[in-house]
Amino acid sequence: MLSWLFSVATFAGIYALLALGINVIWGMGGMINLGMAGFFALGAYASALATGAGALPIPIGLALAAVLAALAGGLLCRLTLRLRGDYLAIVTLGFSELIRLIAANEIWMTNGSDGISGIPGPWRAELSPFQFNMLSCALVTLAVLIVWAMTERLRRSPWGRALRAIRDDDTAAAVAGKPITRFKVQAFALGAAILGLAGAFYAHYTSYIAPDIFRPLITIYIFLALTAGGTGNSTGAVVGAIAVVAVLEGSRFLEGWVSVLGGVEKAALREIVIGVALIAIMQLRPRGLLPETPPGPFLKRKDT
Amino acid sequence: MLDLLPQFLVNGIITGALLAVPAIGFTAIFAVLRFPNFAVASHATVGAFAGFVANVTFGLPAIPSLMFAFLIAGLVGLVSDEIALKPLRRYGALTTAIASIALTIVLENVVRFFFGNDLRGYDLPLVRDIRFGDIRVNPQQLENMALAVVIMIAVFAALKFTRMGKAMRAVADNPGLADLKGIDAVMVGRVVAFVGMGLVGVGGMLFGLGTSIDPLTGFRFILPIFAAAVVGGLGSIPGAVLGAMVVGIGEEMSALVLEPAYKSAVGFFAIVLVLTFRPRGLLGERAY
Amino acid sequence: MTDVKNLFAPTRRTVMLGATALLATPAILRAQSAPITFGTLTPLTGVGGTYGPSMRDAAANVFTAVNEAGGLLGQEIDLVSEDTQTNPEAAVRAVRKLIDVDGVSVVIGTWASSITTAVAPLCWENGVMLFTVSGADSITQLPHMGYIARTQPNSVLQIEVAGDFMLRQESTGMAWIGPQTPFAQSSIDILAGQAEGAGIGMESLIYEADKSTYRSEVDTILRSNPDFIMLGGYAADSTVVLRDIWQAGYEGRIIGPAYAVNPTVLEALPAEVTEGVFTWEGAPDVGSSAYANVQASLGVEEVDPYSAQTYDHATMAVLAAAAAGDASGMAIRDALRTISQGEGDAVSDAIAGLEVLAGGGAVNYSGASGPCDFDEIGDITGTQFLFRQISGGTPSDFERV
Repeated sequence: MLSWLFSVATFAGIYALLALGINVIWGMGGMINLGMAGFFALGAYASALATGAGALPIPIGLALAAVLAALAGGLLCRLTLRLRGDYLAIVTLGFSELIRLIAANEIWMTNGSDGISGIPGPWRAELSPFQFNMLSCALVTLAVLIVWAMTERLRRSPWGRALRAIRDDDTAAAVAGKPITRFKVQAFALGAAILGLAGAFYAHYTSYIAPDIFRPLITIYIFLALTAGGTGNSTGAVVGAIAVVAVLEGSRFLEGWVSVLGGVEKAALREIVIGVALIAIMQLRPRGLLPETPPGPFLKRKDT
Repeated sequence: MLDLLPQFLVNGIITGALLAVPAIGFTAIFAVLRFPNFAVASHATVGAFAGFVANVTFGLPAIPSLMFAFLIAGLVGLVSDEIALKPLRRYGALTTAIASIALTIVLENVVRFFFGNDLRGYDLPLVRDIRFGDIRVNPQQLENMALAVVIMIAVFAALKFTRMGKAMRAVADNPGLADLKGIDAVMVGRVVAFVGMGLVGVGGMLFGLGTSIDPLTGFRFILPIFAAAVVGGLGSIPGAVLGAMVVGIGEEMSALVLEPAYKSAVGFFAIVLVLTFRPRGLLGERAY
Repeated sequence: MTDVKNLFAPTRRTVMLGATALLATPAILRAQSAPITFGTLTPLTGVGGTYGPSMRDAAANVFTAVNEAGGLLGQEIDLVSEDTQTNPEAAVRAVRKLIDVDGVSVVIGTWASSITTAVAPLCWENGVMLFTVSGADSITQLPHMGYIARTQPNSVLQIEVAGDFMLRQESTGMAWIGPQTPFAQSSIDILAGQAEGAGIGMESLIYEADKSTYRSEVDTILRSNPDFIMLGGYAADSTVVLRDIWQAGYEGRIIGPAYAVNPTVLEALPAEVTEGVFTWEGAPDVGSSAYANVQASLGVEEVDPYSAQTYDHATMAVLAAAAAGDASGMAIRDALRTISQGEGDAVSDAIAGLEVLAGGGAVNYSGASGPCDFDEIGDITGTQFLFRQISGGTPSDFERV
């Protein structure tokens, strides 16, 4: 049971990192990125290949994951800069499917749909499964805290305020002399770096990655997390991620109540419950569980 | 490989015509309600299964089954929009779009709950292709294409000549002005949710005809639908038709230059290419 | 904002505190999982959803029957079923719950190779026995310490056998068409080698799964005028490919794995489309009581190869636990080969096997999917293959090898 809680917490942490990354791009920068799974995959593959075939230490793998995802994010953003949100949504969705196709078909590099197994995890061989879960949970939690603090700080920095101004009205921001392109590309790249980092954590925690993992399903979960938690707000992103993992995992325990149903019906019912719960959260708290507050200086009481 | 070019072109036109029907539904909803409704995936599935019930359970022929698919998918679209999405609309297009993804998960699993995951086929005869020289086409595909064309003409006629059609265009082009003219935007929204999802449902059944359907039927072709709508210009109904042709022909012709395993990438490249030069799609965003 | 932080920080601290407190008492938590608990992990949603439900039911029926006959080691078997969603990420979360919360000692029925590979390390690290139907060669080469047993013949063997069959049927030009899978490229390489040996042509094409038409792909493959086409996909895409090949006017022969050209496909397609199509599979023991049991419990005439296999998984788990006198994953792993092969009494269902074991005898289980003998890395051995040909929408036996 306890081991399970640590593992659920680790997944929640990875989801929280993803939500934080999306929050920088969407919540703070106002750019929708339905290609999340693609950056998640880039980070996972970069770190898996670097630490596996490349035999580099895991911290370097994590760094490479973040850098590669950031580069891809910056490039994609530069290419799509002129597009309005709805278009960007569909272009980025296409981008992540392209990444998944490459992962499945470029067997020489990614081992194709067989995936990469045996990705090293920190001290995995020396620890018991229980201890490894605990360590992973601690490391991921630490990463979430660091990224959370960093993005909260950024949000309140001049950079964050400028970004917010651009998000809310880019014409006005341009008139005020803000270099819109640079801000947007930077925000996109930074968010993508966090997504890549989450991918690397996922790879080292579960020790296996394959193209199937990076289907759009996970993107859906994260956007629901962010919307449920409150966009534009790092704490909301983390809370939303925890809420979504709680719904995903908690719904497994409904099984006992509906024992008359067959396997498919139960599985379908579980997903119906997940979807309805998420829609209900969004309707009851349309601005999220924790709505965005105008950013004040970091770590100072702000009267509103 | 080049000897296959004419055949691929024909295949592409047929695929494009089939894509056009649900793409019109998707883009019409966007034009009036101003959000990309990702629930088209599950509505296509709902339509396919409604058609299956009409055809196999009730023993109806193809055309009445398609009408039934339209009706049921439209009703589901209307009701689910009222309950799930409409209350969220004032919080922004993207919030609503995200909720529509959750909605699609719900609807897909409602279908799964009642029908299970088994593959199901329609009770309609299959026929072999007929050949015109080197080129082969299937009579059933021609029929489907003719149906698609008829549906498109009906949609255009309705937009042009009926009061509701004109009201819809007015709301799509300028909601503020339409309101001044006394057009009931809420009612127009309902009609569009019904008709749009009805068309998506018909598209789902057209794709399922002659193959088999399961709860994932809709997911198999949503990316090309989105791509079609975006390439043509989101919210533009003629754009959806044109975009569907570009994507359909592009995907089939891609076999000439690209590994078939990368077929879906064509939609992506088409979008990037078109949007680089025309950020609002080929035909811009006027509804009609 | 501060409110939120105050709310949030203590929660986290409380969690950590609670965690440390609980750390002291893992033994108590473990003790709760004392009844025998087995798990199924099949795809109930997602692209594998066509197979998973009846796979689960076939296994569940074994446990129900054993419970009705008095249980295993004097206890009822609890079955917990989770859904892989045909997604390795979701499957990892599901298997975590099976292992850590339900305390299962056996996981039955992982289908997609990527999912088996994803959950396998968690199984062997936690001493949980994993029975799988995945075909990718790489699976049994994982460092699994005996915790993986698969009843699906590995893909190399399957393709070789089918390629030989095509040549025996005097093919003059072979073709392979299928989606990108872990065994797509190796299938093509094997067939190409066999075709070269026989001095005939071989065309291949890997398509993208989940499309609603493959007309252009079929046109491409038919350019080389093959007279024998092998399908490499699963049920959903094989329906589409079969239709497209038929509509293209192809008059040659087709062969597909029995799990791809399965009863639901035959049901969904008109009979003329599947007329003459060959299927092959690791030969099920059609005359056995195991096969009859699966037929009866699922209420079907034709048993899907995967459901036959999960029936065998469940039965072998029960028999191995009974032989070992212990239902832990390690005990089942160690006892598996004592009941699946060897000199014991031939049995083909759990109840009969339990009786023999209770009387102090030894058993050699032979199940619905075949003899169920395993080599040292967990691959099935001695599989016979059954080729069938479809006529009027129903398959009939053609040849056994």
